[in-house]
Amino acid sequence: MIKKISFAFLVVLALHFSCTSFDYQKINVELPGIATLDIDQFQEIVISDFLVEKETKDFDINQELIDSFSTELSKHFLGKISTKEMSWEEKDIFHKEDFWKSFVPDQEEALILTGSVQYSEEIRKAILEDHSSISERHYPTKKGLAQRKFYTLILNLYLIKAKTGEVFYTRDFKESKGYKNPKQTAIFAFFDLIETVKGKFLQNVVGKKKLAQRYLISE
Amino acid sequence: MDMVDNGIGVNKKRVPLIFLFSMAISLLSCSSSLQNEQLRFGIRAAQKDLWNEAIFRWQKVLRSSPNSAAAHNNLAVAYEKKGLLEEAKKEYEIALKLSPENTRIKSNYQSFKEYYSPVKKENDKEN
Repeated sequence: MIKKISFAFLVVLALHFSCTSFDYQKINVELPGIATLDIDQFQEIVISDFLVEKETKDFDINQELIDSFSTELSKHFLGKISTKEMSWEEKDIFHKEDFWKSFVPDQEEALILTGSVQYSEEIRKAILEDHSSISERHYPTKKGLAQRKFYTLILNLYLIKAKTGEVFYTRDFKESKGYKNPKQTAIFAFFDLIETVKGKFLQNVVGKKKLAQRYLISE
Repeated sequence: MDMVDNGIGVNKKRVPLIFLFSMAISLLSCSSSLQNEQLRFGIRAAQKDLWNEAIFRWQKVLRSSPNSAAAHNNLAVAYEKKGLLEEAKKEYEIALKLSPENTRIKSNYQSFKEYYSPVKKENDKEN
């Protein structure tokens, strides 16, 4: 009798838990971009030199930014894309309308893309320890040093109306990424980081779609 | 006379009651599994890119279980997909309120906030 009761109770418990388990599905979702700016009202985008707050050793970050945005914008913007050199004698000029009104005086229907950039590299270390129990260890405790190279890109972007000198759009980006490979170079890490920045920037500016991952849940 | 089983001290009259009680708990759990079936149906629809069907299924779950964090989370993802950002934000916030420790919901919401960071327009600062 006791065995029958125990068996029945176990069946009931099993039913109970099978009905209340959690499950997650990771799904790739193409998210629509929401263009919050109407850049098609402009005929041209002029990309100026960027204010480089900290020079990079191995590559010309200003030129890489100009090339990167120039290529990407030309895929989405119907008007002309051009570049213009600029010397940053003054650093805090993003809000000086008189300066930007005279930056491209013959191109009133243009939008100026500019900004400031900082790029840094650091090495982060952590101590590794073997936490397996004494009874499970067959070898002496292992200790080691894990090392990662971290790169951080800080980019403050501005879109400025050439006609009035007023800021049309501004956004600050800070992207970081760590790499196990000690030979990871600064320029390749930069390409990784700028792709993330471009995705977010273009999502606002031209409504570019993006593939993202989300979790769908069942109870 | 006590109806006691051998050496255990279990009253035989109470055994069916205990059994019925356990069955009731399981049936309650399993009735929520019917809603779970709707959740899973919605997930399968979403995987096939049939987002309107998925939304229909998850809204159905919420009609009978308005406190289903899973349904709110899934609806939020669907609304994101359809570009309905305000609705997505609302659903994520409800899901998090119902299940604040759920790491998947937190992860979804964090990614949502990062992706749709509000655009700063200089003119808006004065408003």
